[in-house]
Amino acid sequence: MKWLKKNRNIFVFLPLLVPTMASGQDSVEKTPTLSLKYFSSDQNIPYILVQSRYKVGRKFEPVKGVTVLFYLDSVAPSTKITDKATTNEFGEAIAALPPALKNTWDASDKHKFIAEAFGNNEFDGLEADIEINKAKLSLDTSSADGVKTVSVTVTQLENGKWEPVKAVELRIGIQRMESILKIGEEDTYTTDSAGKVNTEFKINNLPGDKKGNLVLVASVEDNDQLGNLKVEKTVPWGVAENPVNNFNERSLFATRGKSPAWLLFMAYGIIGIVWGTLIYLIFQIFKIRKLGTETSS
Amino acid sequence: MENSIILNPEKITADLYPKKFGKAGKIWTVILIAVCAIGLFAYIRQLNKGLVVTNMRDYVSWGIYISNFVFFVAISLVGSLITAIFRLANVEWSTPLTRIAEIIAVSAIVFASIIIIVDMGRPERFMNLFIYGRLQSPIIWDVVVISTYFFISLLLLYLPLMPDLKILNQDPSKNSRFLNHLYRIGGSFWKGTKEQLKINNKAVTTLCIIIIPVAFCIHTVTSWLFATTYRPGWDSTNFGAYFVSGAFLVGAGGVITAMYVFRKAYHLDKYITDLHFEKMGRIVVMLALLYLYFNVNEYLVPAFKMKKPEEEHLKELFTGSFAPMFWFAILVGMIIPIFILIFKRGRRPLPMFIAGVMIMVGAWFKRYLIVTPTLLHPFLPMHDVPESYKHYFPSWEEWAIAAGSLAGALLIMTFFVRIYPIIPIHETINEKNEMAEKK
Amino acid sequence: MNNQNTSRRDFLLTGLMAGLAAGCSDKKDPFTAAAEQETVASGEKVKLLSVDGEVVEVDKAFLKPVPETQHIFNKEARRGIPGKKFVMVIDLSRCKNLKKCQQACNHMHHLPSGFNWLKIYPMQEASHTAPYWQPTLCMHCDNPPCVKVCPVDATFKREDGLVLIDNDRCIGCRFCMAACPYNSRVFNWGDPELPADIAAQKYSPETSVPQKKGTVGKCDFCPDMTRRGMLPHCVSACPNGVYFFGDMNEDTVTNGSETFRFSDLIRDKAGYRLMDDLGTKPSVYYLPPVNRNFPFEEGVKMEEEMQAEKNKSSK
Repeated sequence: MKWLKKNRNIFVFLPLLVPTMASGQDSVEKTPTLSLKYFSSDQNIPYILVQSRYKVGRKFEPVKGVTVLFYLDSVAPSTKITDKATTNEFGEAIAALPPALKNTWDASDKHKFIAEAFGNNEFDGLEADIEINKAKLSLDTSSADGVKTVSVTVTQLENGKWEPVKAVELRIGIQRMESILKIGEEDTYTTDSAGKVNTEFKINNLPGDKKGNLVLVASVEDNDQLGNLKVEKTVPWGVAENPVNNFNERSLFATRGKSPAWLLFMAYGIIGIVWGTLIYLIFQIFKIRKLGTETSS
Repeated sequence: MENSIILNPEKITADLYPKKFGKAGKIWTVILIAVCAIGLFAYIRQLNKGLVVTNMRDYVSWGIYISNFVFFVAISLVGSLITAIFRLANVEWSTPLTRIAEIIAVSAIVFASIIIIVDMGRPERFMNLFIYGRLQSPIIWDVVVISTYFFISLLLLYLPLMPDLKILNQDPSKNSRFLNHLYRIGGSFWKGTKEQLKINNKAVTTLCIIIIPVAFCIHTVTSWLFATTYRPGWDSTNFGAYFVSGAFLVGAGGVITAMYVFRKAYHLDKYITDLHFEKMGRIVVMLALLYLYFNVNEYLVPAFKMKKPEEEHLKELFTGSFAPMFWFAILVGMIIPIFILIFKRGRRPLPMFIAGVMIMVGAWFKRYLIVTPTLLHPFLPMHDVPESYKHYFPSWEEWAIAAGSLAGALLIMTFFVRIYPIIPIHETINEKNEMAEKK
Repeated sequence: MNNQNTSRRDFLLTGLMAGLAAGCSDKKDPFTAAAEQETVASGEKVKLLSVDGEVVEVDKAFLKPVPETQHIFNKEARRGIPGKKFVMVIDLSRCKNLKKCQQACNHMHHLPSGFNWLKIYPMQEASHTAPYWQPTLCMHCDNPPCVKVCPVDATFKREDGLVLIDNDRCIGCRFCMAACPYNSRVFNWGDPELPADIAAQKYSPETSVPQKKGTVGKCDFCPDMTRRGMLPHCVSACPNGVYFFGDMNEDTVTNGSETFRFSDLIRDKAGYRLMDDLGTKPSVYYLPPVNRNFPFEEGVKMEEEMQAEKNKSSK
């Protein structure tokens, strides 16, 4: 219960999160679940992500602070991936392979990742595993006669050799701030028998960075066999974007240091004239005073 | 002057010398202090619990505090009217009224500043206005002009007081020790030499010139707190002039009320004469007509167009839930006083006193009508808020604080009258002498 | 949704990795996205295995599922995220007054009950036009009337277009509330009821938490989420994809599952801004309620149910 105490806010606010269900909340059972996902990053660094969540009805609620141990292939001290990881506010924690596991990793094309929760009342002893085949994603571009083509290849390790994989569903797009923008009409593409997808880049005049660069992204998502793969490539296919910003200009809505010049001029002009006069008048009072005290002495 | 009774300086001094409170005066003062104390108690509650003790909420985010503030700023404008405009126009009969007008101005502006602090959600951060003040905000303009106006009003109260302080200093046995002390600090150096008089006169004239634009500024800027927003009923280019005209009316109403009260309480019939009432009555009629004119502008023009955001607001005022108050303010605050004062018989002291009170009561409600109904008619419908947010009726704390502030302003005036002569002694003597010479 | 989450995470990290991981020099200036620049490299390196079994050195931040919330200093919070210009598109044809957005917003900003920064209005332009539901939040105007009138710089306009509040400076004059034609500002009339640890937090204009007595609060477009590469709470909470959020400089908006070019969306669906004639230049665009996904009445039912629920719980 230690973490429960530490994180009681979650419980305080749960009713707020689902107010429409508040009345029936007691009757809905909360099942703790642990799930694993495999990822291979753009640099081909594999990592696994564990999610600790409650299953409430058909929904999942993230649970923070669950401690998890990760193993490669089998649960043994020698195959331990990390010492331990604790899930964050989204109920997520990740682990990547340390160099010590090189021999185990190199030994096979296929691997099993195992996650085990411990030290928590409800999650203690929960296990999750995922089995994947080592795979790579590569992205090539070509540009001829104004037609820009993107080709993505999926390969996996079979008996020590990188072989193309067919019928893999993948997405191709341009990386944006919080999302990926499609480059054609299709949402997803499927690899052909050569493990390839060729498609035309149809977006014109899309703002890129200052040099007009865009980041192309291809990704395989939640593939049963390959997990999640991703590859990126920077291409100069956008429009150079140099946003003009009027943030530093003088305006009525600018900060106090940036009043419009006309306002400063008018305000200080008026204040100067009026207070100048008033200060002069105060001197006059002192003059009256002085005259009065002089005559008496 | 129609009073042919010969007044010698000693008699004038004796008549106008500050007097101790009588029984009525004491009761009056105690009542005012009690009302202030209740207001203070309510404010302490507000300080502890926050503005939640008021009935202001997200829609009506400005309530009677702000309408009270506008009322105070309005009434303070009279200082510039009676003292400055009349002086510059060589209106000689106004001499006995100048100090009344000026003390009304000072006490009102003091409580305008206090009430605006009361309205702040974080009064302890008041200094932020000076540390982080932003020149683009009309509130900062208001802070600047109000403090300037307060300062000018103080000077305009003090400079003409100097010769009177000499009179008050003449016989220490007449005054308590505290008052002697006060008089000495203020005016022991006043010998009444030619040179001193010359400087003093010049200073007063300069102040009279400078106070007029500043007075226009304070009320115009106050009106801009509303007019610089988009809201129906506030979004008007007419607002500055509308407010200034209304301010002169309520200020003049305040002066005739005060004239009547001081005259009765201190038996000043020889100094505040029927003639003064007669002349002030004419001026009030003119000011009421002027304000009525701006009201017609302010309501008829939008009502003619009936723009969508204005429609509901205007209908609520004309025939809806605010209609009784709206027509009350128009009738009692303008039309009935005009009808009373348009006749010679109406310009006698008592009817004028009644008209003055009516003008002030009407004006107070008028300020309420300017602030609140607009806030209850936002552009987007009132939605997704607790039911209580959709109405406004001030809580007892708000009433207590508003009443306390009004009592406080009256209290300043009451104490002022106890300490200083409410009618300038020196100037009155001078005028009588001049008249005698002419004869 | 989770894929979205992780892909965003990767994106945030790639910028970091590009400079750090060996053999990736071709990606020196991968993108101007400020979120990357904001992702603070811990400086500590860890050695990890690649798919090929090679040992690669990467920054320790790689091992965090989401970049950790960093403390944003007041000066930085007043300036904004460089190079960004945030924009929101609200598709009125998809809204059925579910109020999930409102609940998420209230929950994440710890708003006391009765307070709503996000309101869903039943709108009807004229007596014979069709009613529709209109979610309204702070418009983050480019000519913000509220900022113009603030006497102490407590509310301010940032470089990235956001209008935020520093409630450590607010004096509670409520001029901004009167100035805002959208009524998007709410006031903490009393002491907000907050759990002790929330109330004890240090206020940041980027999180708008905790709310304080006597100061103004309003929608902040969740810049703390944006800094971590995530969408504002209302956007991710809406099951019907009503809200699209993005960066005008990228010309892209997303509701989490769909991503569009902002200019295409506004052109194809005839986007408009609320009360644009006032000249406030809002950063929130609306798509008209045509070809609706839900009849208006469903929202009315929803409203009644919620009201009944509220009445029940208050009894």
